[in-house]
Amino acid sequence: MKTILKKAASFIMTVLLVTLFVFIAFDLIPGDAATNRLGINATPEALERLREEMGLTKPFFVRYFSWLASFFFGDMGISYSYGVSVRSMLASKLPITVTLTVMSFIMIVILSIPIGLYTSKYEDRAASKAVDILGQITMSIPPFFLGILITYVFGMIFKVFTPGGFVSYDINFGKFLGYLVFPSIAIALPKAAMSTKLLKSSILSERKLDYVRTAYSRGNSTMDVLYKHVLKNAIIPVITFLGMTLADIVAGSLVIEQVFSIPGYGRLLISSIANRDYPVVQAIIAIIAMIVIIINTLVDTTYKVLDPRLRGS
Amino acid sequence: MLEVTDLNIEIEDSLIPETVVYDFDITISPGEIVGIVGESGSGKSMSALAIAGLLSRKDMKKKGSIMFEDVELLSVERSHLRKIQGNDISVVFQEPMTSLNPVKKIGWQVEEALRIHSSLSDEELRNAAISMLRDVEISEPEAAYDKYPHELSGGMRQRVMIAAALICDPKLLIADEPTTALDVTIQAQIIELLKKINREKGTAILFISHDLSLVRTLCSRVIVMNKGRVVESGPVDEIFDSPKEEYTKHLIEAIPRFTKIAGRFDTKDAKPILKVENVSARYKKITGYFVPGSRGRQVVKDVSFDMYEGEILGLVGESGCGKTTLGKTILGMLDDTEGSVVHYSKMPQMIFQDPYGSLNPTKTIGRILEEPLRIKGGYSKEARYEKAKDMLSRVGLDESYLSRRPSALSGGQRQRVCIALALIMDPKLIVADEPVSALDVTVQDQVIKLLIKLNKELGIAILFISHDLKVVYELCSRIIVMKDGKIVEQGTDEEVFSNPKDPYTKQLLSSAGYGI
Repeated sequence: MKTILKKAASFIMTVLLVTLFVFIAFDLIPGDAATNRLGINATPEALERLREEMGLTKPFFVRYFSWLASFFFGDMGISYSYGVSVRSMLASKLPITVTLTVMSFIMIVILSIPIGLYTSKYEDRAASKAVDILGQITMSIPPFFLGILITYVFGMIFKVFTPGGFVSYDINFGKFLGYLVFPSIAIALPKAAMSTKLLKSSILSERKLDYVRTAYSRGNSTMDVLYKHVLKNAIIPVITFLGMTLADIVAGSLVIEQVFSIPGYGRLLISSIANRDYPVVQAIIAIIAMIVIIINTLVDTTYKVLDPRLRGS
Repeated sequence: MLEVTDLNIEIEDSLIPETVVYDFDITISPGEIVGIVGESGSGKSMSALAIAGLLSRKDMKKKGSIMFEDVELLSVERSHLRKIQGNDISVVFQEPMTSLNPVKKIGWQVEEALRIHSSLSDEELRNAAISMLRDVEISEPEAAYDKYPHELSGGMRQRVMIAAALICDPKLLIADEPTTALDVTIQAQIIELLKKINREKGTAILFISHDLSLVRTLCSRVIVMNKGRVVESGPVDEIFDSPKEEYTKHLIEAIPRFTKIAGRFDTKDAKPILKVENVSARYKKITGYFVPGSRGRQVVKDVSFDMYEGEILGLVGESGCGKTTLGKTILGMLDDTEGSVVHYSKMPQMIFQDPYGSLNPTKTIGRILEEPLRIKGGYSKEARYEKAKDMLSRVGLDESYLSRRPSALSGGQRQRVCIALALIMDPKLIVADEPVSALDVTVQDQVIKLLIKLNKELGIAILFISHDLKVVYELCSRIIVMKDGKIVEQGTDEEVFSNPKDPYTKQLLSSAGYGI
């Protein structure tokens, strides 16, 4: 109970700090929403009136806390640029970003764990060495470039999908998933390569530990030692990495969304920053911060499931 | 039952193949207890692991013969070897914490060999494991069954290791330094347990140890090894009472045995160097970043004592009693402390237990030694070099060591460097935390003599923290005994050793074999 309260307290504090920093940042950078809306030729009177209307003239903390209070009750305000409620804008885009994140995360897991096991088990085989080299290359390609490459090869040459095209999930869910496959690959491959390498080195260093020798002394086969003893220990650092990766995908999918023209959170965030559309930016950043903290909490819980030493006091 | 002849083990590491075991022979009959004794690097563990079939690395070449009941273990198929491992031949390792899988339950690990070698149901496995846990004298075996290794004490863990090794009722139990990582009172209990198992189940035991006195109490025959070769072998009493080889004599002489080496120290007219009054200490516990962390467990509770210039004061206790924490508190290395520590000297220093972990492996010895001078400032490059060279010669190492790195040094040499490092600020007080525990018995002897020499020549007072009563007896005229963070007894060696008042002190003394 106490731990849950503590977790909740640090959750709220983190969200408060993150949103406060964003507020401060927008207060400091030049340019304002009123000028943006009316254009640079607008009269000072018109600008002043609009600022008044948008509540921009109120003191900083008043604005922050009134935003915070309404956010707390689910009201994220009205978009300056589109004049619609931020909540409805985000609601339609949430499934897209979440699907993209989940798909790429699943790809990372199903690629890296079997390959990591294989390469650590058959360290000396040519296939393992080939995987190592391939992984090294994949790791060094930035996702956006991989995205461009994939678009060129699969979109333009093989015509597996239409570059720039997109089908919304409420129109045809199957096609929607199809359009997200290649963006997911672009996100997943470099991360999968890192995760594979991490799992392999983790298994190799676990295998040197004393308990592995004990396991052999009981009459276990190499396979049993790997699956019954080593894997559960070796996977722990990989979980840390996967947790960070998941947070990274959530916060970093904007580049890939841009490359593949996917109308998710990322693209919306970029255009809203350009338009000084504070309510939208605020909401997106607050949501991303919350998702990241939730993921971290999940990772901590997974640790405790895997490693009994971390349970209890 | 077991017959090893002309066993040679060669490691094909890097370019030069290195032979680690030469022409090793051993025979063990059913029900016999045989000991292998030697210092680190003597090849004793290698030989034992080869017998257990655990040296399967590709770069290890084994020649000779290991016959176990008509099976040649060196050439047998791996699948056949696996049927023997854990079933007929079982192993108990040195470090029960790292040798048990940290993420598996005790019950699962105890059952493991039986699960592999039989087709019993889960229920039968559980019953067998619980009765085995009871046999190794674990209280509440049902509760222990569902626990994890970290939830048990070191002694309990080693009992679990033994239970796991015995679950299939093996013919041969190989015990590789099974008590080295344990406290002295626990050590005695484990030895008793091994004796009982041998008596009741008729299990033959191959007991590997660096501790000659343990081998003497347990084994009927002993093999002495040095640098990969068998030096001498025969019945235990014969080897101990009339050793033929020079090395064996040397080894037996080096055993600490309740004899005074250091001169007596008289506290009359002595000036104080340290006054510790009502000191308590806690470890800091950090949780969350926005919520306040809770305070750590109290490890030192209301401790008071005095220390005098030029004295070697012994601080004795088992692991977890708070002796290291007290040492750190005295040197101001902990934050959450109460009470007062008054120093009458400047720059007190500390020597740590593990000379392998306490020297930065990427720096040269010269660089490491000069560091305190660099931090203090005001020394020229030449002055620093001279000083480092001086300190090395004080601990018996020459100038050439300055350019080497820790990895090129043996354990004993490293501990000498650590001592030189403590000396470089010309301290009058050194806190030495188990400075010889990680060292071989002959090296241990040398380091103790070095500490005595430094105490005599430079008049340095040493707070000697140790779990080993024999070593403390050799060095100290006054002794403090700690248990659960408190001082249970303090006084002169005569008071504490000859006339102990506290039952815990008595227990420690009898486990260490004092007066026997």
